[in-house]
Amino acid sequence: MSPTRIYRVAGTITIVLLLLIPLASSELNGLGPLVLSSYFMHLAITAFFYAILASSWSLLAGYAGQFSFGHMAFMAIGGYTSGLIGKFIRFTTAPSELCTDIPLLGNWWLVILNIRRVGTIDESCLDMAKTQTLPAGTLIIFPPVWASIAMGLVMGAVFGLLVGWLVLRLRSTYLALFTIGFSEILRASISAEIPITEGQSGLELVPLFPAGIMGFTSTSKIPPYYAMLLLFLFAMALMTWLAGSRFGLFIRAIREDEEAAAALGVNIVRYKVLVFVITSTLAAAAGALQGHYIGIITPNTVIILQMSLVIAMAVIGGLENIYAASVGAIVITFALELLRTNITIGPLHVDMTLWRLVFFGLLLMLTLRFQRNGLLFPILERISRGRVAQETVSIRVESEELEEVVTEEEVALETEEEETQPASSEENPG
Amino acid sequence: MNLRRNLFWSLIALTLLALLLAACGGQTETVGEPEPAAEEEAAPAATEAPAAEESDDMDMEPIKIGALAPLSAPGAVVGGEAMRDAMLIAADVLNARGGIMGRPVEVIIVDTEGLPERGTAVVERLINQDGVVGIGGGYHSSVGVAAKEVARDNGVPIVFAETWNDTITSVQYDEIFRIAPLSSEVSAVDVNFIQWLRDENGMKLDKVVILTENTDYGIPAAENTTALLDGAGIASVTFSVDIGTQDFAGIIERVKAESPDMIVTLATGEASYNFTQQAADAGIGPQDVPFMCNQVSLVSDAFWTNVPDGNNCFVRRIGLPQKLYNDVAQELVAEYSARTGKDDIESYAMASYDSIMLIAQAIEDSGSTDPADIIDALENINHMGALGPITFPINRSNTPDQAGVDPKWWHQFPDPAITIVQYQEAGQDAVDTAVVYPNVYQTDPPVIVGQE
Amino acid sequence: MENAAIFGWALLWILFWGALGGVVTPRVYARKDLEISQASFGGAVIGAALGPFSLLPLWFATPKITSRLIGIAIAIVVGIFIAAFALADPDNLCVANGGFVISQLANGIVIGIIYGLMALGLTLIFSILGVVSFAHGEFYMIGGMVTYFMTAEWIPGVSPIIAILASCVVTFAIGYLFERIFLRPMGSGEIERPTEYAILVTFGLAFFLQYLTQALTSAVPVKAQRFFPFPRTEIPADSGALLKMTPGNVTVFDAISIPNPRFTAALLALMMLAALLWFLYRTWVGKALRAVSQDRQAAAVTGINPNSMNTLAFSMGAMLAGLSGASLVQVFSWLPQVGIPAAARSFVIIVLGGMGSLPGAFLGGLIVGLVEAAGTGCIPDATRAAAYIPAYGMVILTLVLLLKPTGLFGREL
Repeated sequence: MSPTRIYRVAGTITIVLLLLIPLASSELNGLGPLVLSSYFMHLAITAFFYAILASSWSLLAGYAGQFSFGHMAFMAIGGYTSGLIGKFIRFTTAPSELCTDIPLLGNWWLVILNIRRVGTIDESCLDMAKTQTLPAGTLIIFPPVWASIAMGLVMGAVFGLLVGWLVLRLRSTYLALFTIGFSEILRASISAEIPITEGQSGLELVPLFPAGIMGFTSTSKIPPYYAMLLLFLFAMALMTWLAGSRFGLFIRAIREDEEAAAALGVNIVRYKVLVFVITSTLAAAAGALQGHYIGIITPNTVIILQMSLVIAMAVIGGLENIYAASVGAIVITFALELLRTNITIGPLHVDMTLWRLVFFGLLLMLTLRFQRNGLLFPILERISRGRVAQETVSIRVESEELEEVVTEEEVALETEEEETQPASSEENPG
Repeated sequence: MNLRRNLFWSLIALTLLALLLAACGGQTETVGEPEPAAEEEAAPAATEAPAAEESDDMDMEPIKIGALAPLSAPGAVVGGEAMRDAMLIAADVLNARGGIMGRPVEVIIVDTEGLPERGTAVVERLINQDGVVGIGGGYHSSVGVAAKEVARDNGVPIVFAETWNDTITSVQYDEIFRIAPLSSEVSAVDVNFIQWLRDENGMKLDKVVILTENTDYGIPAAENTTALLDGAGIASVTFSVDIGTQDFAGIIERVKAESPDMIVTLATGEASYNFTQQAADAGIGPQDVPFMCNQVSLVSDAFWTNVPDGNNCFVRRIGLPQKLYNDVAQELVAEYSARTGKDDIESYAMASYDSIMLIAQAIEDSGSTDPADIIDALENINHMGALGPITFPINRSNTPDQAGVDPKWWHQFPDPAITIVQYQEAGQDAVDTAVVYPNVYQTDPPVIVGQE
Repeated sequence: MENAAIFGWALLWILFWGALGGVVTPRVYARKDLEISQASFGGAVIGAALGPFSLLPLWFATPKITSRLIGIAIAIVVGIFIAAFALADPDNLCVANGGFVISQLANGIVIGIIYGLMALGLTLIFSILGVVSFAHGEFYMIGGMVTYFMTAEWIPGVSPIIAILASCVVTFAIGYLFERIFLRPMGSGEIERPTEYAILVTFGLAFFLQYLTQALTSAVPVKAQRFFPFPRTEIPADSGALLKMTPGNVTVFDAISIPNPRFTAALLALMMLAALLWFLYRTWVGKALRAVSQDRQAAAVTGINPNSMNTLAFSMGAMLAGLSGASLVQVFSWLPQVGIPAAARSFVIIVLGGMGSLPGAFLGGLIVGLVEAAGTGCIPDATRAAAYIPAYGMVILTLVLLLKPTGLFGREL
């Protein structure tokens, strides 16, 4: 069989398996001897969540060379936007008088709730309006979850556009510092603006399917599993297509040498901003979905530690390949969870809750130093074609050699273009 | 180059092997525990099987009780480790007694990391993966607020040991019980104490500065305190800090400029140590102005290491003074001291112990491991715990509406004792501190500084 | 805030004209075929300073935008900002209470000196290796931890000086090992895209060191005793109106009070700074370091081994972070996580001062110290002022990166 076929078959099998996993969950009484607890389902959902983040970060950092530390901030923007809409916005058929009312079409009103006192369960203005001003029979409708998630995506895209545009001039270290600054400011604001965001205690979100769906209750793990899986597959398909298209070619050209790419006619501004917008939107989508699934989102998701987790997943998986990064994320999510158990070797007790992260840090450093392509990528690579990946080979050039660079790059681009076409279909299991 | 590759792969292999060992080691511990033991996830504290002679009649499937504690940052690890130790003692005591209904007991301790999202995940895991019938412990309010939803979804009871936020009980979930004090009641004790200083000790008290943390423990506590102080005719200014704040110099200058008659610290953890010591350095510490330190100051070793100038601090203490401990508490302290080397047990560790014992008794009382039956039993329980006789008088048969009380009293242990103690000698142990308030427990009069 | 509107409008005015100046000025200069490297930033500050009254003359006369012009404009902007603030909130402590302002300034300067020392390490590494060490905060944390464990647990009663030296040795050694194993290959071309590699690998080191420390020391906060308590003194003897010292505090003129641990930490930092300057400017190795930072190839020609200079610079940078940690462990309670905010602050400082610039790092430290003091001291809403502390520095960082990525003293990008 040709490598392409292997990839296709393996990809199809993986997708089918992923789609079938819920059949074995304990909610459906398992599949013969195989019963997956709902904790397993929870881990699987979380793994997909991290896989979306890690693979989109690898598109941003590995392909486009933009080492942003703000990916979790975009994730949080998605989650918080969706959550805040759910918290503050209602639709009614009559003006509430007590809240901020905005007339819509027909006799519908968009009601923005007031900001309540911290740490209380005071009635909101709408609760008061129900007993005081609203006529009997008024309909009060929560914004649908899909719509608030969509708004989360929009906000993710808007912020991605803004940040992507602001960082156009910044390279590597400066970009990393700027994005750290951005996420720190976001985190501090979320923590401090307690009346709006609930601060450290976290913003509560309605379940993904508040009324349940197809016989599953709102707390069932199966619908969120499929939702997250579909988002994951969609993200992978989108990124595969992008990476294989001219877009992917151009962003890699920009990564290698911006001046040379510009000289060849690549619209640098457009592609650099675009890759930021796309990856931020994906992160925001994952954040919004995960927020509704978990039911709570806190500013701690933006701390640098969480970001380092995503980075480590991508690096250990394989920074310059979105599949390797996503598989890395899935493997590491499960591994970190399994490793929460202590070991005792003779008199030596090892507290794994702490030490697993020490090993993890060490593994990250060693991977970077000795196995630049990640630990999983070479394995994937070996299984599929047993030859060295061409696309990750890059040439470091000094700027004074610009003229040679252009010619070299031209050659490189041409050869890459030839290779990218088959490569893109080869690498397309999802 | 080749050599280096090999070196690298052998390193990786070693690491993986270590991790694999870890995983397997853990697995054998979790699956099919042959002897009664408290299985715990973090830290090696002694789990000597205490009842070898009973093991033959305890071969049955163990009854599993979950336990929540913050065991890694950003959670309050010091508190979490104390709770873990106390809950392990509870497991050993239960097994030494012959288990519950003749079955061994397994207490599964999970790390909440002090994060709500992590809290929901581990409660989920406890209930659905480990199959626990009830959950005890719990430290951070934010974790409690989030975890209560999972408990309700799954119908499994949680007895919270140290989550003070009022809303945890005021939402009136059947599954949620609490033996920790209510935040608002604690604030009331603080303010009563401040009033008492003014009215009966002749202290000048017109203005109080409150330093709080911007969490859902700190913010409502500060608001309650402010409102109550207001009612007592005392003005107050609140400064709220991020929990990670280190440098308080600017804040302390502002506190100084307010020239307060008293300072109340509601910020917990190292922030409270940093604030108190930096205030002392700046000349407005516990030796210069009456100063209520945070309850974390009761961990006296850490307190004196971090706040060498902390003498004369007033500290609110949950639970009775040690000389008034009942038999259960005496035994617990003896065992706890033997294991940890501490002289006294922290109030939250004691409450965690009780939370596990409560669930155990509820299982005995109901004669069932069905969570719904356990909830019924908990509502009617009368348990002699280390904290004293524990009951939940406001429940489904006596709702807050019927009893005419605030909903916050739902499934709430009504009278955790609260005292105010004072470090009156530098380097003093928390056990030896003077109880200054309320009068019934008073051992020494308060030392009031900074009065002209 | 009584007249919040005044302040709001002043701010809007500054922002509007600043943005307009920043956008339009480069176009005007470009049309006249003039130097535009400073036009954007210069135009922004000049616009922010006097609005149309300065922008129109600028656009018509198009003078050369010198640092002096920019400096004057910045001074005017800061002046307007302060004036608007004072008008808007006349009762604010920062406006009405002179003693408070001086104390805050003193505190800001004292802490700024220590920040500066830490940032010096980072900027030294950047100037030689061209990388930003994301593990800088962890070296700071380890410096403090070693000092605490030396003085309090391993050899109780040992002189703090020895403990500080020990922490220097430890951080230097870790820096040395890390550089040799992980950063050395960057120079030989073995690593593709070295800048990104350096970001990630130092990030991994930070992760590793932080959790290693946590696993080894547990998470109980610790703190070293005051290194050198003041003697109790009062000048004049009875009232202490001029100078009053207690073991923990010194008060000058009854108004400015500086806590002892900060004071000694800042003194230590100044001494280290003097030693560092002496090393860099008076010794052969120091001169070699500076030579490498200016021109690698030329330095190599004169017989300096750039690789060993890399190792030296990284280890010394780590040691400087360790030193500032060692001198601050008597000020703050110490945990494995303390390095994170400290590192973030160092990033702010070196960006502000200009990456790789030694005087810039020091001046940047002072500015950040002062801005934090002003932020916590002057923001009227007491519940917000402190909650935003982590954000103040980051606001500076993002603004500098957007307006003038080269910082105060940086070389052109």
